[in-house]
Amino acid sequence: MLQEESDLSLIIAQIVQKLKGSNLYSQLERQAWASLQRPEIKLESLKEDIKEFFKISGWEKKLQNAVYSELSVFPLPSHPAAPPEHLKEPLVYMRKAQGSWEKRILKSLNSMCTELSIPLARKRPVGEQKELLNKWNEMGTDEPDLSLFRPVYAPKDFLEVLINLRNPNYENGDSLSFRTHLGLIQVPLKVKDIPELKECFVELGLNIGQLGIDDSTQVPPELFENEHVRIGQKVLSEQDSAAAQQYIRQGSPTALRAELWALILNISSQPEDVLYYEQLKTNVIQHDLLVDSLIYKDVKLTASNDDYYFVFEDYLYQVLLCFSRDTSVLSHFAFNSASPPKSYIRGKLGLEEYAVFYPPNVAPLCFLYHEPSKLYQIFREMYVRFFFRLHSISSHPSGIVSLCLLFETLLQTYLPQLFYHLREIGAQPLRISFKWMVRAFSGYLATDQLLLLWDRILGYNSLEILAVLAAAVFAFRAVNLMEVTSLAAAEAVLADLSTLKVMPLLQIFLFATVT
Amino acid sequence: MSRVLVPCHVKGSVALQVGDVRTSQGRPGVLVIDVTFPSVAPFELQEITFKNYYTAFLSIRVRQYTSAHTPAKWVTCLRDYCLMPDPHSEEGAQEYVSLFKHQSPSMTFPKWLSHPVPCEQPALLREGLPDPSRVSSEVQQMWALTEMIRASHTSARIGRFDVDGCYDLNLLSYT
Repeated sequence: MLQEESDLSLIIAQIVQKLKGSNLYSQLERQAWASLQRPEIKLESLKEDIKEFFKISGWEKKLQNAVYSELSVFPLPSHPAAPPEHLKEPLVYMRKAQGSWEKRILKSLNSMCTELSIPLARKRPVGEQKELLNKWNEMGTDEPDLSLFRPVYAPKDFLEVLINLRNPNYENGDSLSFRTHLGLIQVPLKVKDIPELKECFVELGLNIGQLGIDDSTQVPPELFENEHVRIGQKVLSEQDSAAAQQYIRQGSPTALRAELWALILNISSQPEDVLYYEQLKTNVIQHDLLVDSLIYKDVKLTASNDDYYFVFEDYLYQVLLCFSRDTSVLSHFAFNSASPPKSYIRGKLGLEEYAVFYPPNVAPLCFLYHEPSKLYQIFREMYVRFFFRLHSISSHPSGIVSLCLLFETLLQTYLPQLFYHLREIGAQPLRISFKWMVRAFSGYLATDQLLLLWDRILGYNSLEILAVLAAAVFAFRAVNLMEVTSLAAAEAVLADLSTLKVMPLLQIFLFATVT
Repeated sequence: MSRVLVPCHVKGSVALQVGDVRTSQGRPGVLVIDVTFPSVAPFELQEITFKNYYTAFLSIRVRQYTSAHTPAKWVTCLRDYCLMPDPHSEEGAQEYVSLFKHQSPSMTFPKWLSHPVPCEQPALLREGLPDPSRVSSEVQQMWALTEMIRASHTSARIGRFDVDGCYDLNLLSYT
C-alpha cells in the first residue's frame, strides 16, 4: 500500500541521513575504495562485487548492526503535519508539566549560583588545570568544601510532580467509582496487564532456561548453562547485534557480558572514540561547571558510602564530569520530552548540558568496563537509550510515569488486599518503590542481580521490567507487609533488597501466581 | 498534478443528546462537526488531515449533489473509524491523522471517497512487504536529487561548545 511504502522510504531516508555523518560511513567508503585493488572486483559488475566483498569481510554485518541500532532508538515516523514538539511528546499536558519541572530546576540552579556567587561555568586558570590533570585518576581523594551545595532535587520532589499530573480532559467525578485511581498516579496511560506482560516477556517463562535461576550450584551445568555459554560465544563471534539482543533475554554469562552489551549498544572502540573521550576530558580540565560540584557532592554522598561501589569513586567522577559536557547527548533530546536549558555567553546564545542524573547508574557499569573511554561510551549509550526516561515526564511506555502506573495497577489488580491495607495505613506502595525504579534498582540490589536485571532491559529494549520487579518484591514480602501498621514499618520491611534474587521473583510473579 | 488545500469552513461541534442539554450529568458521547466548502467548483478530495483531541471513533458523511434534478443525498463514507484503540487511555488521544482516498472496488461507496478501514482488518500486510531493491532504488533517486540541490551535510555534531574561546556563564535562561 502506498502509505506504508512511503513510510518505509521515509524511515530509510532518515536512517541513511543519520549514518552518513557517522564513522562507519567513512570507513565503508575507505573499504570500498581499497577493495578496488582486489582481483575479484571487476568494473562491469562493480556494485555487485563490492556488495559481495562487504558481505564476506563482515562490513555488511557492521552496517546491519548500525541500522538495527538506529531502528531500536528511532521514534516511529510521524505525521508530516506534526510539529517537532509532538514528536518529543504527543500529549500537550505532559509537555507543559515537563516544561514547568525544568523551569523549577533552572530556578533552583540559578538561585544557587547567585546565593553562593559561583558562576555556572568558568575557564580554569592554568595552574588549576595542571593540578586537575595530575590528579585525574584520583579525584576521590579530594575533600573540597561542599557543605554549601544542596542537591537540586530529591526523588520524592519528582514524585510529587508526577502525582500532581492531571489530564485536563479526564473527568473522574467527585464520587468514588471503579474508575477512580486508588494509587497516586492519576493519568490514564495505557499499561500492560499480566497476560500482556507474559506475552511480552515470553523468554522468562517457567520452561525456558535462565541465567539467575538455572545456573545455580544445585543445577548441573550440562542442563542449560554450558550450552547457553556456547551460544553466547557464537553470537559474539558472528558480531550480530540483533541476535545478541535476543540471546541476552535469558541472561548473559559474566565473562561475556561486557562484550555483549557493547555489541547490543553498537559500541565499537575506534581510535576516534578514545579521542572523543580525551577531548571531553580536556573540556573538563579547561572549564569548571557548577554542576561538577553537584556531581561531586552526589557521588560523595552515595556511591562512596556504598559497600560495593566505593572502589569506583574515581571512575565515577571521570565519567560523569565528561558526560555533563557531552553535547552529542543533545541529539537524543529530539525524542525526549525534556529540553536542554540555554544560557547566554556574554550576549551570545549557548547551550548548557544539564546533568541531573543519579551516579549509581554508572557504578554497576564499572564492574564490567575498566577502560575509561569504553566505560564512558557504554554509560552514555545506556543513558541516551533508557535511563533518561526515568528522569523526564512523558507518556512513553518506558517513561517513569508509565512505570509508576504499571506498578500500581499490577499491585491493585493482583494483590488487592495488600494494596488496600497499605493504603489504609498511609503507606502508598509507590512512595516506597519509586526510589527503586527511578534508579533502575542500582544501589538496592546486589550487583550480580542488578546486572542480570539490566541484561533484560537491554534484551527487551524496555524499562517495564523495573515496574514488574517492584510489584514482585511487594508480592514476595506480602505476608510481612500485611502485618505492619505504619509507613515506617512498611519501609523497614522493604529496606533491604540486597539478598533478593531477581529472576525467580520475576518468574513467579509473571508465570506462577494464581490470578 | 499538484495538491492544494481546499478552503473549508469548520463549524463548532454540536452535541447529539436526548433531552435537556443543560443538565451537567449525562455528558454527550457523540458530537457532530459540520464542514462546508464555500467554493462551488467540484474537486476531487484526496486527503483529510486533522489533529485528534480525545475522539475515539469517527464517522464521515457527505452530502452529495449528483445532478441538478435529483435531490442531494447523504452518503456515509466512513463509519466508526477507530482513532483511539482504548478510549479510556491516552493512546491516539492527541495524534495527527490523515484519511486518504483509496482505490476501492466496493460499489456502495463513491469512488472518490476513502474506503472505511475497520481496525481489525490487517490491511497493511495484505500485499506483503515491498520489494527492497525497488524501494532502495527509489530512495537512491530521491537522494541523487537532494544531493544535486544542496551540498551534502551531515547531522553529525562537531561537539564544541565554547564560543570564541569564552565560556563564562552566569545564568540559565528560562525561555
